[in-house]
Amino acid sequence: MRTFWIKGFFLLFFLAILARLYYWQVMMAPFLQSLAEDQYFTQAQVEALRGNIYFSDNSILASSNPSFTIFGLPKTLSKDQKLEVSYKLARILVDEGENIDDLAKNFIKRMEGDLFWVLLKKDLSLQKKKEIENLKLPGIGFDKSSTRFYPEGSSSAHLLGFVGIGAKGANKGYFGLEGYYDGELKGVSGLIRHEKDALGLPILIGNFYNSEAKNGKDLSLNIDRSIQFIVERSLKKGLEKYGASAASVVVMDPKTGAILALASYPNYDPLRYFDFPKEYYKNSVVANQYEPGSTFKVLVMAAVLSENLVKPDTKCDICSGPVSIGGFDIRTWDNKYRPDLTMTDIIIHSDNTGMVYVGKKLGLDKFYSYISNFGFGNPTNIDLQDESSPDIRIKKDWREIDLATTSFGQGIAVTPIQMITAVSSIANGGNLMEPHIVKEIKDNSSVFEIKPKIVRQVLKPEATIAVKEMMVRAVEEGEAKFYRLKGFKVAGKTGTAQIPVAGHYDPNQTIATFVGFAPADNPKFVMLVKYDQPTASIFGAETAAPTFFEIAKELFTYFRIAPTE
Amino acid sequence: MTIIKKFEPDNQKAKFPKKYIAVTLLSLFILTVTEIWASNTLVTYGDKFENLSYLSKGLEMENRILENDIAKHASLDSIASKSASLGFYPSESIQYIR
Repeated sequence: MRTFWIKGFFLLFFLAILARLYYWQVMMAPFLQSLAEDQYFTQAQVEALRGNIYFSDNSILASSNPSFTIFGLPKTLSKDQKLEVSYKLARILVDEGENIDDLAKNFIKRMEGDLFWVLLKKDLSLQKKKEIENLKLPGIGFDKSSTRFYPEGSSSAHLLGFVGIGAKGANKGYFGLEGYYDGELKGVSGLIRHEKDALGLPILIGNFYNSEAKNGKDLSLNIDRSIQFIVERSLKKGLEKYGASAASVVVMDPKTGAILALASYPNYDPLRYFDFPKEYYKNSVVANQYEPGSTFKVLVMAAVLSENLVKPDTKCDICSGPVSIGGFDIRTWDNKYRPDLTMTDIIIHSDNTGMVYVGKKLGLDKFYSYISNFGFGNPTNIDLQDESSPDIRIKKDWREIDLATTSFGQGIAVTPIQMITAVSSIANGGNLMEPHIVKEIKDNSSVFEIKPKIVRQVLKPEATIAVKEMMVRAVEEGEAKFYRLKGFKVAGKTGTAQIPVAGHYDPNQTIATFVGFAPADNPKFVMLVKYDQPTASIFGAETAAPTFFEIAKELFTYFRIAPTE
Repeated sequence: MTIIKKFEPDNQKAKFPKKYIAVTLLSLFILTVTEIWASNTLVTYGDKFENLSYLSKGLEMENRILENDIAKHASLDSIASKSASLGFYPSESIQYIR
């Protein structure tokens, strides 16, 4: 009986051991394995580099500079050490206009708490980091990050957008190219995991798991650095000279839709975007709507010529005085009336009554169809994040007066990019091109080229030739003739649109524009200049036109275009 | 005589395996020592590897900073202000030769 109990005891004992072994070896195995791996493996995340953005000549527009965050480990420092470390750091990290004592006290205050980790300062340069490392201070450390770098300063801010912090704490692009191409630019972080020795150093014959970081792709733009520089300089000068509240210029290659320059003011510093009002972030060229005014006349005229409903020498039979429609009197901008105006004269003198005649000839159906075909009411699909498109009223809501006023550019809202894209179709023989900022997306192994895209043919080539001639004569004989460049054939049209305020138009607040292209016979560029509420003069012919010709003069030299006369 | 001749090859055969075994054992011993030596040496190379990796990353960073510095000095804004300070200005009257 005693043997039985002893056997039973041993059996239970063995069962207990087996159960315990099962617990540790099977049930707790994953947990213990992870504990062990933590002990002999170390892992580090490898941050992917954000891609660079290059001008068309491969010079850098936006790049990344390595930067560091310095942190303190208060638990590892005594009170005296905290004091010493704070003052030594403050001497190196003090910025211009900052006091060393104040900064040191700030560091001491941050390290006062009984914490493992406290942030001391962000965005340190490599040089500062080296200076601090040479001091061999205890209880501090560095985390690597990167900051965007813009060699041209705040140039092209609206084009670029900026890089801020996303919801998960990682860098994220907002607005402009940084926002639109964030997925391509940001890349994918990698992970390095290897066995370490007692000192934390890697064991070369140990196990390595390496998932490489994939750096972001680079963008090569259609933006020409020289043209962008010329445009920004002239626009800034014009903004001050004409006392406008805002201004913008966009230059496009009409044959390909490539955007050669794009600038708008007021702008902001993409590095210090948080110091500027949020309203500045939007790119007015693609996000702000306005009434195009007389610049719209060339599009309506192109449409009516394309439909063969009039000829350039067709005479207007309602232009001898104001035109009454639906209880409204439509007058010319200068209140002068010229009977028997030809279609060409209507564009030269920017005659509103003449455009009412043209609108009537075209009729609502065709008029509406051309507006849609020119791309109004839809985004142009330009590769910028902040593009918006004002809606066009549905056709059944249009009254006779709407057709009349829209024919001279009032009562319709467009964006500057929609307007220049539409005018480009006159310059290139009738094709509506999709505008593009980016030419190529590149990484180490591949290049993706963004090819010119014809959206649709809007106009007949013969009609575009006729409208070009009208626009050339508008430059040579119209209100902006004093600023024209002698010897160069430039096609253009001024626009002065009143701003709708509380249901009526304010006659003293205007949007002054000039749109044109040159050389008229074989255009190298099409350009739109726009000033919001200029105070020196309310007219496009006296504000936007001089800026257009100032820029065009420099572009002729840049493109090596000689005068033809 | 015949019997003696029969035994000689057997003696010779017995000697060969001893040599092979000795050579094999010696080789194994050398290999083991080499492996232990290599392992120990390589293990202590961890810090050198770490230093080289740190140096390589540092050089890459410096290279990027220098590239950006060049870009900053070659920016049109910088060139325009430097050339203006040297007395250069845009030509106002361009003559075209036909």
